[in-house]
Amino acid sequence: MSVLPLDVADEVATEPAQPSRRRRPPGFLQRPGGLLGAVWLVLVVIASFTAPLWRPYGVATQDLAHRLALPSAAHLLGTDPLGRDLLSRLATAGAEPLLASAVTVLVAFGIGLPLALIAAERGPRVERVLSRTTEVFLALPLIIILLAVIGVIGSRTYVVMAVLGVLISAAVYRIMLGVAQSVRQRLYVDAARVNGLGSLRVNLVHVLPSMATVAAVQAAQLFGIGLLINAGLSFLGFGPAEPQPSWGLMIQDASAHVYDDPWLMVPSGLVLSLTVVAANELVDAIAGRTTKGRVRTRTRPVARVAAVDRGGRASAALEVRGLTVAVDGGPTLVSGVSFRVQPGRVLGLVGESGCGKTMTARSLLGLLPEGVSVAGGAILWQGRDLAGLSERELNAVRGREIAMISQEPMVALDPMFSIAYQLVRPLRRFRSIGRGEARRVAAELLSQVGIVDPERVLRSYPHQLSGGMAQRVAIALALTGRPKLLVADEPTTALDVTVQAEILSLLRGLVQEIDLAVVIVSHDLGVVADICDDVAVMYAGEVVESGTAAAVLDDAAHPYTMALLRANPHVAEGHAVPVRLASIAGTVPAPGSWPAGCRFAGRCRFASDACRVPFVPLPAHGGGSVLCIRAEDLARENATWERERAGAEVGAEVRA
Amino acid sequence: MLSYVGRRLALAVGTVLAAVVISFLLVHATPGSPGAVVLGPSGTAAQIAAKNHELGWDRPLVVQFADYLGHLIRGDLGTSLIDGRSIAGDLGARLPVTASIAVLATLLSGVLGVVLGVTAAVRGGVLARVIGTGSGIALSLPAFWVGILFVYVLALQLGLLPATGYVPFTENPVGWLGSLLLPVLALTVGGAAIIARTAAAGMRDALAQEHIRTLRALGTPTWRIRYIHALRFASVPVVSVLGIQFIGLFGGSVIIENLFALPGLGQASQAAVSAHDFPALIGVVVVATVVVVVTNLLLDLVVAALDPKVRTA
Repeated sequence: MSVLPLDVADEVATEPAQPSRRRRPPGFLQRPGGLLGAVWLVLVVIASFTAPLWRPYGVATQDLAHRLALPSAAHLLGTDPLGRDLLSRLATAGAEPLLASAVTVLVAFGIGLPLALIAAERGPRVERVLSRTTEVFLALPLIIILLAVIGVIGSRTYVVMAVLGVLISAAVYRIMLGVAQSVRQRLYVDAARVNGLGSLRVNLVHVLPSMATVAAVQAAQLFGIGLLINAGLSFLGFGPAEPQPSWGLMIQDASAHVYDDPWLMVPSGLVLSLTVVAANELVDAIAGRTTKGRVRTRTRPVARVAAVDRGGRASAALEVRGLTVAVDGGPTLVSGVSFRVQPGRVLGLVGESGCGKTMTARSLLGLLPEGVSVAGGAILWQGRDLAGLSERELNAVRGREIAMISQEPMVALDPMFSIAYQLVRPLRRFRSIGRGEARRVAAELLSQVGIVDPERVLRSYPHQLSGGMAQRVAIALALTGRPKLLVADEPTTALDVTVQAEILSLLRGLVQEIDLAVVIVSHDLGVVADICDDVAVMYAGEVVESGTAAAVLDDAAHPYTMALLRANPHVAEGHAVPVRLASIAGTVPAPGSWPAGCRFAGRCRFASDACRVPFVPLPAHGGGSVLCIRAEDLARENATWERERAGAEVGAEVRA
Repeated sequence: MLSYVGRRLALAVGTVLAAVVISFLLVHATPGSPGAVVLGPSGTAAQIAAKNHELGWDRPLVVQFADYLGHLIRGDLGTSLIDGRSIAGDLGARLPVTASIAVLATLLSGVLGVVLGVTAAVRGGVLARVIGTGSGIALSLPAFWVGILFVYVLALQLGLLPATGYVPFTENPVGWLGSLLLPVLALTVGGAAIIARTAAAGMRDALAQEHIRTLRALGTPTWRIRYIHALRFASVPVVSVLGIQFIGLFGGSVIIENLFALPGLGQASQAAVSAHDFPALIGVVVVATVVVVVTNLLLDLVVAALDPKVRTA
């Protein structure tokens, strides 16, 4: 088996490129929640710390004639049970909880952050000891321990809140450890160490900056928690003593007067709540969390192909005509793709990452990612156009007529359910059989896909299977509905080399046994050579060459196919391994930036001016086609795609 | 499974031990002594020393700790410095109140939070935005203030529920529930909000999983994909967060009891704190930790039941 020097993923990025950032306020201030939160916090901080300068009354000034007064010009927020001005008390009370919560945050980070850095640096033994200890701390009832602390040392707010910081540093440690470990795994940190940077410098230069966002989120969150706990303690009477005001005690006052002066609960409760809300809004804004939910799946707008003619070859099980897939309101990902697959034959869709192979395959079952849909063309399946079907109609086709197996067998099965459950459910639905019967059929299917001990596998869960085993189960699952067409997206890419061969021969066997038609997506020409009858080579969203596998592989007519073949590290027996594999300079142009003429022209060594204008595919390989205006010239010249010389060509970057 | 349960059990025992050690050290390693507490400001140094000797406070710390542990294992938390009552007996009588509030609030938060979170993840659109914003605000509100709002609206304006007071379960189960409902609702506002966020995120994550695409490719009905497969996947983080929530709600119920004048652990701890009743302080910490730890152990078993990876490990 072989793998082209290409990426495995064939996903096309659907996000538009980020516009260049120029002197904008930080991201979190651009979100309404973040901006409002920040403004409110700044206001509260300023008002609290300057309160002695502007408050209209002293905090202990009593106006017994106006007790429990509603807001008025004299008392903007009203008065408390002793006739003291609420605004003055509320503003004065703010400084302590704000400072005390800051103390909690500082202490928590002062302990949690260094410990996380140490644990990440010193490796698993230190990490285990520290992590076990923090787990214990996280399981302690915080408020009750704080009450015990107050019981021993008295209501010393800053000390108590510092103790809270110590206890809660466990949470900081946990989260920061996660970040530190993932940063350290990145290569450049190792590189920095190799280059002789000391561990302190590595931490300062590389690790800490990467933690900034998560740390800011954590800090804002802890600040909010600190405010709530601080207010809770003073609500219980363990905060500043009268006549000093505190938010918690003012709420306690309000609770005593809920019968005769409900207004009293409003100013104090609202200021405390809004301040915590503001801190948490900052958390969300910094974390970049939006409250936006999942976009609802829309019915796909489909440019219907007028009057589907059923001509052509009647034997074709699947015929795709001029299929165009596009991001809704965005670039086209696949354009004008046509191919057909017949029963008992295997079609390979090949090409580099980002050529639209996976999108094409997924459109066959109507399983395109959200925001991507079929924009034109037809997917003719037994006389029906699948591109025009509703979700409900498609659901009747999925599994029963067309089934799919995916790239990553280890994640394709539901980790929460046994293999038996996952097979029995669809079997009962597809074949209308009872539980016992379905279980028997499930075991049969597993034997059919080459599993020696079906009973044991049926009892297993996905995580207990090897990759090859999981892929066999996934194939068995795809066969539960007795489909006529199997779409296999890179079915062997994630598997070990020896297992790849087994899975391919299993597929080959199934094609012959049950007359299955197969569309197999691969970036690996070795796979194509092994299993495919026909092949369609895709480049930048279109088919550039198609025909029988034998013809295309032996006598490639398109320069891109030639280049792929040259880059293929398959070496015939007896031949020496070439010193260096050919690679194709440059990358596949991104959707939305395809040139008008040949999309490969930019990377093609045979390109000429003729290639810059649009043209139509030429017939080739019998029933196939080739999309190259110079195909005939090249064939005449017996052109071959030569290995690139080191350093030559247009800054050719050799892809590893 | 066994090694998982063993690990969680070890953590539970470790946590209780840590709570005992911390509270013990807190009381013993700081200035102040029970003699001073019992005799008050009028006690002379000699009287205080004599009292401390009588209470065994002058023995080496290790001896006292071993002594305390020995009694603790037999369920003896010592006697109050203030009124000489058995601490275990007093807290035992109060625990049901606090535990009921915390358990009910956790259950209600779980149910409500999951419904809201799953709705947000599945429906999307405006509803998701409303739930997202609403839960962001709700989780920031102090429960004791929400409690006052509820007293005003539900008890005073609408007359639906009693504002304060406690009816024991054995006396009148319906009255019991009625007397707990307001504090439970007050705590549920924040609790449900956090669970809703966890559930929404978990559900979105679950629906984006590769195995969900496998199910779709098999034409599995949407309700089955969502409420059997994705929900099961999302339930593991939700249950874990529920355990953390219980710890918070237990502490929260101690505060909220004060508002509703309920005879729970909150009252006891408030009294112990104000009077510097050292043995009672340690007792409250120990009892609260045991309850929190046992609940989390139970939830660990739920996680094991839900997640085969945990169960078969």
